[in-house]
Order: sequence, then C-alpha cells, then structure tokens
Amino acid sequence: MIESKTFNRAATVILSVLVIIALLPIVLIVIASFTDETALLRDGYSFFPAALSTDAYYYMVKQGAVIMRAYGVSFLVTTVGTLGSVVLTTMLAYPMSRKSFKYANVLSFFVFFTMLFNGGIVPSYIMWTRFFHIKNTLWALLIPNYLVTAFNVILVKNFYANNVPDALVEAAQIDGASELQIFYKIMFPLARPVVATVSLFTGLCYWNDWTNGLYYVDNEKYYSIQLLLIKIMNNIQGLKANSSAAMLGTGAVELPGTSVRMAMAFIGILPILLIYPFVQKYLVEGVVIGAVKG
Amino acid sequence: MKKKVLCGLLTAAMVTGLCACGSGDGSGGGAGGGAKGSYDQVTYAYATFNNIPTEEDLDTVEEAINEITREKINVEVTLKPIFIGDFSSNVSLALQAGEKIDVFESIGDFNNCVSTGMAADITELIDTCAPETKELIGEEWLQACVSNGKLYGIPTYKPIALTPMIIYRQDIADELGIDMSAVNSVEDVTAVFEKVKEEKPEMTPLAPVEAGNLGLNRTYGTVDFLADDYNTPVGVLLGDDMTVVDFYSSDIFRDRCELARSWYNSGLSMKDAATTTSMAAELMSSGNYFAYIAAYSYPEADTAASLQAQNGNLPTGAKMLGDAYISTIDVNALVWMVASNSDVPEAALRFLNLTYTDPDVCNLLIYGVKDRDYVLSEDGYASYPEGQDAATVPYTAQLSCGTLGNFFIMYPTVGTNKDSLEWELEQNRTAETSPAMGFTFDASALKTQYTAVKNVINQYLPGLMCGSVDPETEIPKFVSALNDAGYQDILAAKQEQLDKWIAENK
Amino acid sequence: MARQVKGKKKSDIHRTLPLLLIALPGIIYLIINNYVPMFGLFLAFKDYNFMKGIFKSDWCGFQNFKFLFATKDALIMTRNTILYNLAFIIIGTAFAIFIAILMCELGKRLRVKLFQASLLLPNLLSWVVIGFVAYAFLNADTGFINKTVLEKMGAEPVAWYTYQAAWPVILLLVNLWKNAGYQSIIFMASISGIDQSLYEAAALDGATKMQQIFRITLPMLKPTVITLTLMSIGRIFYSDFGLFYQVPQNSGALYNVTQTIDTYVYRGLMELNDVGMSAAAGFYQSVVGFILVLAANAIVRKLDSDNALF
Repeated sequence: MIESKTFNRAATVILSVLVIIALLPIVLIVIASFTDETALLRDGYSFFPAALSTDAYYYMVKQGAVIMRAYGVSFLVTTVGTLGSVVLTTMLAYPMSRKSFKYANVLSFFVFFTMLFNGGIVPSYIMWTRFFHIKNTLWALLIPNYLVTAFNVILVKNFYANNVPDALVEAAQIDGASELQIFYKIMFPLARPVVATVSLFTGLCYWNDWTNGLYYVDNEKYYSIQLLLIKIMNNIQGLKANSSAAMLGTGAVELPGTSVRMAMAFIGILPILLIYPFVQKYLVEGVVIGAVKG
Repeated sequence: MKKKVLCGLLTAAMVTGLCACGSGDGSGGGAGGGAKGSYDQVTYAYATFNNIPTEEDLDTVEEAINEITREKINVEVTLKPIFIGDFSSNVSLALQAGEKIDVFESIGDFNNCVSTGMAADITELIDTCAPETKELIGEEWLQACVSNGKLYGIPTYKPIALTPMIIYRQDIADELGIDMSAVNSVEDVTAVFEKVKEEKPEMTPLAPVEAGNLGLNRTYGTVDFLADDYNTPVGVLLGDDMTVVDFYSSDIFRDRCELARSWYNSGLSMKDAATTTSMAAELMSSGNYFAYIAAYSYPEADTAASLQAQNGNLPTGAKMLGDAYISTIDVNALVWMVASNSDVPEAALRFLNLTYTDPDVCNLLIYGVKDRDYVLSEDGYASYPEGQDAATVPYTAQLSCGTLGNFFIMYPTVGTNKDSLEWELEQNRTAETSPAMGFTFDASALKTQYTAVKNVINQYLPGLMCGSVDPETEIPKFVSALNDAGYQDILAAKQEQLDKWIAENK
Repeated sequence: MARQVKGKKKSDIHRTLPLLLIALPGIIYLIINNYVPMFGLFLAFKDYNFMKGIFKSDWCGFQNFKFLFATKDALIMTRNTILYNLAFIIIGTAFAIFIAILMCELGKRLRVKLFQASLLLPNLLSWVVIGFVAYAFLNADTGFINKTVLEKMGAEPVAWYTYQAAWPVILLLVNLWKNAGYQSIIFMASISGIDQSLYEAAALDGATKMQQIFRITLPMLKPTVITLTLMSIGRIFYSDFGLFYQVPQNSGALYNVTQTIDTYVYRGLMELNDVGMSAAAGFYQSVVGFILVLAANAIVRKLDSDNALF
C-alpha cells in the first residue's frame, strides 16, 4: 500500500489503544493475584491496590511438591503428546493431499466427519477403560481425543496441497524412491512450517486440557497442572454448594480465597506467556495456513 | 465407493462396539472375587471434601479396616475416595462402564439413583445383613428411602434437624450493644441490620450463604418440599394440609421475597448476592460483612465455635431464628446404596452395616490411622498430630464426618462438646416432623417438564431470593413461566403419588 | 484388453497401497477414538437404566428429544444462538478487517509485530480464566467498573449480572476481545496478497487513502470474507459454551439473553444426569450441524470450488 503520514499516525494511535484494551484485563488479573485478600474484598479490584501481598503464592508454595509434580506431568504429556500427534497427523494428511491418490476424497470426508459427530463421553469412557485399560496411567492424559484431530489434519493437508507440487513427487518416483522414502525424506522435512504450527496448537491443547484427567485419572500422581487447578476449583464449588446444607462437620477448612484463585489462573497461563514471544511467528503463520489457501 | 468404505467402517465400529459391551457385562465383578483368597471384595466409593490421599497412604487405612472386616464379616474392602465436586459424574460413569463399585452414596439424588436403576433393592437383604443398622435408623427414617414399596438405601445417621441460624460477628454486636438473644425470627433481623448499617456504613450487614441464596430458604418454617431440594422446590405441602400446592404463589414465599427486596433496597444485603462467586466464609473473613443466614444441626455455641475458624478467626456468634422442621429430604439427602450390578450385595450391605455400628471402622474412615493421621486426647477428642493439619496428614476425611456411616460413634473433634451429641439426638427425635415424612416422589415420567421447570426456577429464583428484582412484578411472571413449562403436570403427578402413599401408609 | 485392465489395476494397488499404509496409523486412531464411540448415539433413542445396561435398556423413540422442544425456551435459545452467531460473524468480520487494514498500513515495522502479538494473546486464554477476568470487571461489590470507574465518576453502581440489556453488548465485546486478533491475521494475509500496482495506479489517479480502501482493498477481500462466513454458517447452531456459561457466571436473571442450545442442554443435564437426553441433544446438534455444513460446503463449492472442504 502507498503510505500516508496522517493515516499512518492515526493507525498507530488506534492500534495502541486496542492493544491496551487487549492487555489490561490480563494485567488486572495478575495484580489481583498480588493483592492482599482483605484489601481485595474491601476496595475491589484495582490496578493500584492499597496493600500488596504474596500470600496467594505462599499458599501455593505450601502445596509446592504437588504443584511441581503436576507441572512435570504437564510438561511430559505436552511434549510426548505433541511429538506423537505431529507424526501421526502428517502421515495421515500427506496421502490426502496427493491428487493422484484415489482415496484422497474419501479420506478427507472420513476425517471431516469426525468433526461433526461424536458419541459422547459414555461410550468413549467404556472403550478406553475396559479395552485399553488406560485408567490411572499417563496414557490416559495422552491418547484420548487429541492425538489426531480433524482440524490439524486438514491444516497439514492444505499446506501440502498448496505448497508442494505433484511434480516433486513424480521426480522422486522416477528416481526410484518408495512412497515411504518420499514421505520421510522429502515430505516430512518440507512440512516444517506447518509442523511448527500444528505442534503449537497441539501443545496448547495438551497444556490446557483437563477433561481427560477428570474422567480417566483419580490418582494424584498423574495430575496435570490444569487438572490440579480444576480439582481445587471443583472442591471450592463442592464446599460452596454444600455449605448451607450443613453437611460439614465441625472442622476448619482452609479455602483458597479470591486472590489465590487469580494466582492459580496466572500460574496456569504463565508457561504460555513465557513461550509466547518465541513462537508467535509460527502461530501467526498457522492461522493463515489454516484459514485460507495460498 | 465412498459409500461402501463408509458403511464398512461404520459396521466395523458397531461390531467392536457390541463386543465392547458384551464382554464388559460380566467380567467386572467376577475378577475381584477369585484373586484375593476367599474374602468377598467390596469397593466403597465415598465423597471427600479433603485431599485425596496417595495410594500408599490409602492402603494402610484399607489394611487397618480389613483387619476388622476379615474377621467380622469375611470381607475385604477397597476404598475409593472421590472429590465431592466430581462424585456424582464419576460414580455414574464408573457404574455405566461396569467398573467395580459396590457401595456408594446418593448426594441429594435419591430419586434419580432409584429411577435410573443404579441402586439395588435391599428390602429383604437388610434383615439378614444389616439388622443392627435397621434398628438404629428406625422404620420412620428408612421410609424415606423407600420407593414403590422397595427399600433402596440407608440414610446416613447424623443430626438432621437443621435449625435456621444467623451467624454473626460477635465483636460488632457487642460493640454496638446489640442484644442478639432478643432476635428470634428472621423479621427481627432487619432492625439489627439497620443498626449495623447506621453505625458501620462501610459494612454490608448480610452476606449470601452461597450464590443466589441469602439463606432465607431455610426460614420457611413448616414447608415440606416433597423430595425436591431446598434450592429448587417445585410442589410443596404447607403445614399439615396434604394438598400439593404451588410454592411460588404462596404467602410465605412472597413474604420472604419482599423481605429480601427491602433489604436489598436499603443496602442491608450484598448487591451481587445472586451471582457472587465468593462464599459466606470468605466474605465474612474479609471483615466487610456482619452476618449470614444458614441452617445447622448443632447447638448455637458449637456452631459458632466451629465456624469461627472458617470466618478468618473473627469472633463469631450464632443465634437460632426458628425451629427445625424435618421432612423426607432431610433424611434422604444422603443415602448409602448398594449398586444394582454389584456381584456381592450381601457382603456390601454387611460392610455398610459396620460403618454404622462399629466405631473402629467408622473412625478409620473419617480420621485414618491413629497417631499417624490423628491423635486422641485422654477424654476422647480427636485432633491432628502436632504441627500437622488437614492438608498435610497422610489421610483424613474429617470434613466428610456425618456423611460416612454413623456420626454419633465418631470421636468428636477437639473444640466441640460431647454433651452436644445428646442435644442433637434429642433434636432428631423431637423436632417437628412433616405429616408426609417418608414420602418419596418418582419423577422419571416427567423428565421433560422437570428440565424446563428447573430452568425457569434457575432463571427467576436467585434474583427474587436475593432481592435484586421486584417481587411485585416478577413473581407473576415467574409463575406464568412455570405454568408454561409444565409446572401443573408436576403438581398433579405429585398429588396423585402422595394420595396413593397416604392410602398405603395411613 | 483384459490383460491391460488387470495391469492397470495392479499398478493402481501398487500406487495406492503404500500411501494407504502411511495413512493407516492415523486412520486406526480416528476409528478407535472417534468412530467406535459413535455407536453411543443410539442411546438417544433409549430409556437408559443402569441395571439393564446399555443394550438391554428399553427403546423409547423420540421421547428423549422432547425436552429440547417442549417449551418456549426452545424458541429463546434457538433465537439467541442464531442471532449471536450472526452478530459475531458480521461485526466480528468488520472489526477484524478494520484492524487488518490498519496493521497493513504500518507495513513491516517492528511495532506491528508487537500489536499483533498483544491482540492475539487473549485468544490463548481459556474461558475459565476469561470468566475470572470478566468477573473482576463486572461484579457489583468489588468489580473494577463499579468500584473504580463508576464510583470515581460519582455514578450509581450497576448490578451487571442481573442487568439484561447490557449483556448482548458485553458478550459481543468479550467475543471481540478474544477473537478479533486471531481473525485479523487472516485478513492481513489476504491484504498483503493484493497486487501493489493497483494501489500505485490509484495513487497516480489521485485517489485518497479512503478511496483506495473502499475501492481496492475491500473488494479484493470479498472471496476470503465469503468463504469464512459460509464456514461459520455451518456452525451457526453451535455456541461457544464458555462464552455463554462462564462469562455470565451462570446468572439466572440473564437467561433470556444468554441461553443458547449448548447451555440449555448442559443445565438440563446437570439437573437430571440423564444419559439418553444428553445423547439426544448431541444427536440433534450433530445432525443439524451436519446438514448445514453440507449445505454451506455445496454453496462454497459452487462459488469457489478450491475452497470447498471436500
């Protein structure tokens, strides 16, 4: 586009305002997590709290071992899950992208269909627990739901279809390469940009997931960080729902307060915030690849 | 081509699916029995409000219980503690998948557990496997767990007479010279709140006990909710009249709504009560609130003492605002059931019997292993070992006390009074009881109407009960929305079942 | 002749088999993870009973579907679902294009990267966290808006969680906040693909910046907009559960403006914990969604066959 100075300035100003609007809420949460609990309830949420406190984080350090372990589980599951997912997804997507492959369309429909219909949790649960016995194992966090998703497959397929000419494959075939060789020597390396993106989406998915854990894990050993957060939340909800019913006996409960909940939200997104600057580029590329064709 | 492949896949899916369940039906229970010697294997699923213990820590408790049960009833137990928040969904999933659960509790869902077939009929078994418990609980309470003439569970044995109370800041009341002993009803409370508001304008006098509830639903007096829970009543009995009526057109409901409205308008109650995410204890701890209203089954002093710790250790007092009124839901709010697909129902019931009658079993479930998880004072009060608390001991389910078996055979905790137990037992026996006590309602034919009606209730009730909307205009809207949703069908069905029940029982 | 056909078939298999084998692990996974559990959809037609189990439970026809259509809630939730989705499609797209144009205007400066990163950040947060954020702003007693903004202005606090009129706007804003950054990137990509010579020619003819935007940029974006819109229409019966459940804090007073099909089903099921009804709801949305996607895809294929999904 041809630049214009005034327009340029206006654009900068407007965008800066939008950026501030986008970021302020997140900042507010972070500040709230450092706000003294009573000050928070007395003065309300504020960017400039009357009293700061690290009590919320102290509360979590007290639960330190559990939280560190959960962080470890999350990292492990995210890494392994992402690797596995990338390999399986690319392997499925590549043949779909080949124009000469006569089942390409059938496969596309086969994959897409899974986006629309699902049987619900009950049959899945029965299958995974009774046949595959994944309950209370790390597999439970890895395998169900996220390993291959239609969205990612379509993403990679589109990438291949638009960026890799069939001629390349034909040339390799003339050189006598087998399909498998073509795939792992040429196609997989070629997919690097989209693989980066798929890794990010999948990694984010594994990191943010708690449903698998909720259904398939009840041993604290295998809690991921999100599951731990959700469990603590659920417990607060459970106590709340029953606090008026006097099901409680005569005991003191130490319940995480508002600022602790804010702190939990913050430590849940912290790794994302830390990684974000380094991976932003791929995320942007991925959004583009996923949505429109070249 | 496309079609063929797809069909092939679907058939494959169906076939595997069929196999999945075919093989699933039998294996779940049988496997347990043979593996571990000659003892019957019973899995006991219970809701805990505390942390879930690690496997190793749980094993020691299990082993300690097994030492008793092997000898007494030839049973080995597997404990399955589940977070309260996940309990219902986890248990129902596990039962659907045919996992081994023999004993579980219904949390406020007695009718649902019965109508979906989760609970086994124990009408006859109870006489042979749990006669002591049967005697302990008594015919009247067991009636509350009967549906269509069959017994489906045993209510937990605890103080059930819930008395409405105001929990307030003792120091503020003293400072302002408010005589709380003169407060005897919810109407008396207004003057107290006004005084607090006037002297301490920075304070909000009343906090909600939970989102959408100022606690006023505990102050209706002699209303029997006929098997609906306190938060979403549908058709009720007022006093001794055996006619099922529309609760939301009643005077008592309008009365409470107007009271809530007047509090709201004059700033006596929390503005965001209908949707707050903070609970009463949290709000009280902040020091900004004077009181909340709830119902408890303990004497005033005990209630105040135990709540003080939750309320940030600010001086706390409790005053009763009326009398308890017992109806079916108070008894069957928490019922222990034997799973309908249990392979050892007799053994399951025998173990259940022990949780009601054997203090050692009951205390192991609640407190864990003595001297590791808790210590016992000379006069028989339990507390955590030196330097430990609920979060750090290997095993405790202390917050579930009163839900596991028999509350009255547990060790009381330090800070409570053994004499209170007498008072509580007395309350259980003498509190005013609804004439329809024991009536249970089978709503399975009305699921559609229930879904719609509960939706309407969730929409209108919190606002009305917290005073954030005007009852003058909203109650009529509410009632007409209820009628549109099939409310009258439910009332009619209830009346019909109630009449039948009266004919059979009176 | 026959030989030739046979030979062709053979080479066909020779060519397709390796590709099928490569795809096989993924196919097997999808069959296990997605297709096998679909047998559960038939639960929609059963009156589920634990004692009888999945296969022995009684059939009950369309009984389970009744609750979806039984009351006038059905109308409200369908209306809300569709209207919100339409609003998100129209306003969301317009806003995203607006941002994209501004961004492209700034070229490849460093600050563009920064803007982009910041605007995309909310998209990475889960709805639970966003629910917290909204609550921090809106709650009546301690919320930022009431306590800090309105109090300083001397205005009366507003009970946001019971104030119906505000919620269509609030939900729209929250949705924009979360998604505008993401969508604008798509449009930025399209804009940067526009032939620069068009602008140069226009500038020579003395076209103003505005004229360039309205005469060149927007028309050139049309295909992208059409594709994206049709895709969204395919999912118009679905709502973002988190937005409509977590953000309004499940406030009853707001049901008229926040109830969507997903939240209604969820609330109904929380109360009843009924396997058959939950299957029925899923079945209904799947089927309607399927038909709409097929229709949308057919239209896309007509307009621009390259963009069709299958």
